[in-house]
Amino acid sequence: MRLVCESVGHRYGSLDVLDGIGLTVADGECVAVVGPSGCGKSTLLGIMGGLVEPAAGRVYFEGTAPAGSLNPITYVFQDFALLPWRSVAANVSLALEHHPLDAREREARVADALARTGLGEFRDAFPKQLSGGMRQRVGIARALAVSPAILLMDEPLSALDAQTRELLMEDFLALWLAARTTSVYVTHNLHEALRLADRICVLSRRPGRIKQIVAVGIPQAERAASAAAREMSILADRLWAAVREEAIDAEREIAHG
Amino acid sequence: MPNARSHMDDRRPVPFRGGGFSPMPVRYAAAIGFAVLLAIWELAVRRGLVSPIFLPAPSTIVAALGDLWRAGTLWQHVSQSLVRLAGGWCLGTAAGLAAGLLMGVWSLGRAVGVPFVSALFPIPKISLLPLLILWLGIGEASKIATIALGVFFPTAIAAYTAIDAVPRNLIRMAQSFGLPAGDVLRKIVLPGALPGILAGFRISTSIALILLVSAEMIGAQYGIGAFVLQAGNLMLTDQLLAGVLLISLLGLMLGAGLGRLERHLLRWR
Amino acid sequence: MIRLSRRAAVAGALAALSAPSVLRAQTLRKTSVGVLRLSSSGPVFIAAERGYWREAGLDVELKFFTAAQQVPVAVTSGDTEFGVTGLTASFFNLAGKGALKIVASQSREAKGFPLVAYMVTNAAYEKGFRSVRDFAGKRVGITTTGSTFHYELGLLAKKYGFDLSAVTLVPLQTLPNMQAAFKGGQVDAILAPVTLARALTADGSGRILAWAGDETPWQLGALFTSPRAIAEKRDVVERFVRGYLRGTSDFNAAFNQRDAAGNEVRGTNFAETIGVVARAVQQAPELVAVGLPFVDALGRLDVGDIYNQIAFWQQAGLVGKDVTGKEIVDLSFVRGHLNVPKN
Ligand SMILES: Nc1ncnc2c1ncn2[C@@H]1O[C@H](COP(=O)(O)OP(=O)(O)O)[C@@H](O)[C@H]1O
Ligand SMILES: [Mg+2]
Repeated sequence: MRLVCESVGHRYGSLDVLDGIGLTVADGECVAVVGPSGCGKSTLLGIMGGLVEPAAGRVYFEGTAPAGSLNPITYVFQDFALLPWRSVAANVSLALEHHPLDAREREARVADALARTGLGEFRDAFPKQLSGGMRQRVGIARALAVSPAILLMDEPLSALDAQTRELLMEDFLALWLAARTTSVYVTHNLHEALRLADRICVLSRRPGRIKQIVAVGIPQAERAASAAAREMSILADRLWAAVREEAIDAEREIAHG
Repeated sequence: MPNARSHMDDRRPVPFRGGGFSPMPVRYAAAIGFAVLLAIWELAVRRGLVSPIFLPAPSTIVAALGDLWRAGTLWQHVSQSLVRLAGGWCLGTAAGLAAGLLMGVWSLGRAVGVPFVSALFPIPKISLLPLLILWLGIGEASKIATIALGVFFPTAIAAYTAIDAVPRNLIRMAQSFGLPAGDVLRKIVLPGALPGILAGFRISTSIALILLVSAEMIGAQYGIGAFVLQAGNLMLTDQLLAGVLLISLLGLMLGAGLGRLERHLLRWR
Repeated sequence: MIRLSRRAAVAGALAALSAPSVLRAQTLRKTSVGVLRLSSSGPVFIAAERGYWREAGLDVELKFFTAAQQVPVAVTSGDTEFGVTGLTASFFNLAGKGALKIVASQSREAKGFPLVAYMVTNAAYEKGFRSVRDFAGKRVGITTTGSTFHYELGLLAKKYGFDLSAVTLVPLQTLPNMQAAFKGGQVDAILAPVTLARALTADGSGRILAWAGDETPWQLGALFTSPRAIAEKRDVVERFVRGYLRGTSDFNAAFNQRDAAGNEVRGTNFAETIGVVARAVQQAPELVAVGLPFVDALGRLDVGDIYNQIAFWQQAGLVGKDVTGKEIVDLSFVRGHLNVPKN
């Protein structure tokens, strides 16, 4: 499925947050959205998934969801958003319970999602017993369980320490390469964007506008290879140059409200 | 090696500066402290240091309880009070939870309810007794209503604040997975508010016990509150304290029961 | 008599001028009395206002309480040396522990003095509850178990031979609660103090069957002190009683006079005396005049009734069996007590 934003803008009261965002995410494509903190990335993602009503513009999704997709547009959250009173399996099953599935199919989906994220042996654990990395794996498993057509991820690795982030990125890349779900990946970490995205959309500081869209020509699987190192580093420099001045300005801004 | 030698001379252990300020549970300390206090009390009365009119000895209080037991009225008092407590508490809790829920999730409910509840909460329920008698008579209804009224307000406030404190991101998550509103309420809001609601139960059970005496001011022949009241009116201080002891025992038992319930329902914490 | 009242006037004038009274206060023995702001404590207010205690060499401080129960407790705890209030089971429980001794009378329920009414609701009246003989099987609101109301019903039961245990006594703790229960028809009858009784008849919510004073006269209240005070400073107690009895005498002379037909007549110094009482109870004189009790001019106690009260409470299981009248009444401060039991 494709996701289309048409001149999306947003404001919170008198605070202009987004302005004139036009962006199309193609079927099977992963677009990263980067930009300085507070520029409206989360807001944009919220608008894309129907959790925030845009002040201007529209968002469409096009095409038909694959058979078995229960929740076409599905989120993975930065703070995991797990229910502390539900076990791992029950947290995953929460996304399924209101769908007319028979118990066997539901159980199969939960088991499959847990297996794919390496959580099989943790199914009865409670979130507080898990490390941050494991908790985000639950968040990902929950998203996988509903077979999404479009995956919206809001800084899914930002709450984790560097090593965990690296490990999870590897696992996540493998999962993504296997399924190639249309994805929007919001991050302020350029390295993550370069590992995962087909295109990287750089937002200006608030109000966020599209400053630049950088296409990464190398397939994800080959980016870590030394052959690609030079091209990747040039891309990284270009990206950083685009983000840097926005970040400097954003940092010098006086906190709003 | 003269150099190393002098280093050795200068060497001192780093003094320990941490520790303290973190009370550890000491086993049996509470029980022993309590026993010592009781012993001092008993001795002071027996030695005539304290007049038994002002402070009856613990043994006298226990004897007064024993008299009640032998007379067969102890259970009558306790059971009547338990019925009133259970009835009033359940009624007040049900209504309080409903009101708290309305105030927690519904804008109009909050706009109307919060000032209403804040204004009525501090009214001493005992001052409403004549009205309650007029409305409900002097049977069980007015007694139960007194307790229910006292329980209602703290429960409503606890439920409302607890629902307000449920992380919004969990609700957004549920919506992003397409959970219907009823499911969001049942699976996210209520379980998320449960710790706060259970904490409110501790307060509301205490208030119910406090109001027991007020409730049984309304023409009660039996009941711990009526017993305490009568003992006070008759200046039978040993019976008075025996009744007070019963109430605090009841409070301890209810508290322990709630503790178990909390541990059971909130094991995820 | 003329000389006496002149002396009283002088003493009053002295009391009014603060400078000389400071001088005099040094020679006065300080003591205190616990009272309620009720007209039955009139003798205390009169004695204080007219300087009877000053003349007896005492500087008496009046300490006001809001419930009858508190006064004996205050004497027991030593907060006041004397107390004046109605007699209840609670009083006898404290007295029985050796904390209190009765030395003189306060008010008495007496014929022709409407203080407490037996009131029935209109509904109960319609159903045939028309006489004080009909209490058996009815629900009757009282303040508390062990109160003066409780005893009055006991006396009535004895007089008309009905069984008190066949009456359902409903303790409602406060007069407003009793009023509410009465108006709501949750009780068939209540015992109502005169002001409440008048209010309830005025608004048509019930009828007065009879007055307790007419049916069953008894020793409603007393002056008491601690046994220790009697043992250690008998002289102070004697002087206090002397001043108090001048108060009872004035009270009786002003308020308790009746003509041959039993109708109220205004006695000596009525207007001035009612002013004294009205100021102390903080009510309008007209209101005070409605509920004036009988007070024996000589402060004599109906001793037999006090013994009877103790027996009644003991039978009801509300007062310990070891309490005896002999131990809690001291007959030596007032001469000519009434109805003194032989043994
Ligand atoms: N619900 C809200 N109400 C008011 N202001 C908000 C709200 N959510 C976010 N903002 C503000 O909007 C701006 C953009 O927020 P956000 O989309 O979260 O940025 P980002 O995710 O890029 O850091 C920030 O300045 C933030 O403070
Ligand atoms: Mg964000």
